[in-house]
Formats: sequence, structure tokens, C-alpha cells
Amino acid sequence: MKHIFLVSILAAFAACSGESQPPLVASDVIVMETMPGMNMTAAYMTLTNNSEDDIRITRVTSPAFASVELHETVVEDDVSRMRKLPELIVPAGGSATLERGGMHLMLMRQTGDNEAVSLQIWSGDTMLLSIETSYTKR
Amino acid sequence: MPIKTLLVGVALLITLIAGILTFMLVEQAPRATEPQTAMLFADQSELPEFELLDHDGNEVGKEVFKGHWNLVFFGFTHCPDICPMTLTVLADAKRQLRERDLALPRIVLVSVDPERDTPDKLGQYIDYFGEGNLGLTGDLGQIRKLTTALGIFFEKTPSDGDNYSVDHSAVVMIIGPDGRQHGIFSSPHVAGNFVHDLPIIMASQ
Repeated sequence: MKHIFLVSILAAFAACSGESQPPLVASDVIVMETMPGMNMTAAYMTLTNNSEDDIRITRVTSPAFASVELHETVVEDDVSRMRKLPELIVPAGGSATLERGGMHLMLMRQTGDNEAVSLQIWSGDTMLLSIETSYTKR
Repeated sequence: MPIKTLLVGVALLITLIAGILTFMLVEQAPRATEPQTAMLFADQSELPEFELLDHDGNEVGKEVFKGHWNLVFFGFTHCPDICPMTLTVLADAKRQLRERDLALPRIVLVSVDPERDTPDKLGQYIDYFGEGNLGLTGDLGQIRKLTTALGIFFEKTPSDGDNYSVDHSAVVMIIGPDGRQHGIFSSPHVAGNFVHDLPIIMASQ
């Protein structure tokens, strides 16, 4: 709970002081458009933790998808395996990269079309970040 | 005379050094006539008999590979990361070969998830990566006949509830127009590797 509290404090501090450095920042966000006949896709991004404590991401949601899971593709000895990750820890002052062939968000059961999409990143019941973006063509 | 002899000696020495340097450079440079990434098989085995469905729902056997240089990947449509990534690389390689007016391979996706990959679904999926691609699906046992012969691994792995994933080999197999296995590209896949190696491999027959 400590890190969540810290995130909240930092967020409040940033809001009051007018500083533009929120604790968690997403960059290079890519949400691949769903392919014809498919209702699932993947999303990638770099998450940077500007705070002095680790940030634990426990879930990601999106109004455009019924289910979002954090996955990791591991290729060993030319065999690709995809596994669900229970959480993602972004280290204090560090970053976590979700990229092709590695960690990624698996977005399942699309409810809308291939227009704008938003993602909400949560730690427990606290929403750390909401991202609005458009889909990327392959 | 001694000066002339000296000059001839120096000239010979320079020629010799230049010759050695040229030889060393040529030896070090990769030979453009040999594949750099693909591993080619000395024993080009024939494929086993199998009965599968192409993406139009037609029953096909091993003859389906004949007449084309096939880049065969084993994956599934519910694979959000590595499968589209690989097919994008193959489509990019094909685009680059087309720009150079070179002969084109055919991209083939063999489903390792026939439960969800109907011919229609597979067809929509592979069409997304360009024209002329082939999708194969069908009975699991028939798919196993092909994958076992090619040394391709796949295994269904349960996830939450009814959801599941499929672990699978990430290699790209090269099946020639004679319907035989010619070689393999190991992962990670880079378009440039295919662009370099394929014209050499495809010119071998």
C-alpha cells in the first residue's frame, strides 16, 4: 500500500505545485488495430516511474475491450511461449518496456471499432494513469 | 642501375602488399552467393502425406506446396504478439523483393489452433498480410503429421477459464517448389535476412 499512497501524494503535490512530472508516465504507446475477423490485439508502451518508490501495476482496463491482460512472450530455443503476468513492477526512478516479442498488453473481446482507444492503468483500486490514443496499423 | 633495381623492388613489394590486403578483404567479406542466416538442409526430405484444408476450405495434401518457394510459419490467429510480428516481417521481406523485381516466395501459415482457426478466419487473417498467402488448418491429427515430420513443436496451454494459448515453434521453414524441405530460418526474424538469403536459395533450383 505504501507505493499507492506515495503515488497519490505525488499526484497531489504535482497538481498543487503545477509541476508537470506525474509519477507514472507512458510513452511510445502503440495499440495495434485488430485484424479482420479478430476481436483481440496487443498494445505496447514504455512506462516511466518518476517517483522514489516502486509502482506495482496490478491491472489494465479499457472501455473498448472486455478483458485486458498483461502477458509476456518468451522465445527460447526457437519456441514461443506466451504467459500471463500477475503484475508489473515499474522500479523507482526506472522504467518498464512493453515491446513486440516481450511483455505486452493482450486486449481481448473488442467491443467497439478500430477508432480511438483508451487504456486505464491501475494499482489495486487506484487508477494511476489513463491513456487516450488511436490504433496503429500493422 | 641500382636505383632502377631499387624502384622495381619497391614496386614489386607494393604490388605484393596490395595483393595480400585484397586477398584478406575478400576473405573477410561475406560471400554474396551464400545464405547468411538460413540453415540449409543437406538432406532435402519429402513431406509426409496429410489431408488439410486451405483457407478457402479446399481439401489439400502435400502437393499444395509444389510450384512455389514457401515460407512456412506455424502459428494461430489468437496469438497477438509473435505471430503478427513474424508475418509482418515476412510481408515486409516480400515487399522488398518485389521492389527489386526478384522472384517472390509464398507466405504460408499453418494453424496450430484448428479449434479456433476455421478456414474462413484463417483466410481473413493471412489476407491482412498481403496477396497470395496460403493458410492451412484442419484436423489436429493431420496437422501433427506435418509438424512432426518437420520437427515443429506446439502445445496447447490453459489460461483463465475457457481461454488458452498455444506454445509453438517460432521458426520459418523453407519448402521448395519440389515440395521438399530445403532449410529453416531461426528466430528472431528480420526482413533483411530473408531479402538477402531467399534470392540465393531460390536460384538454387
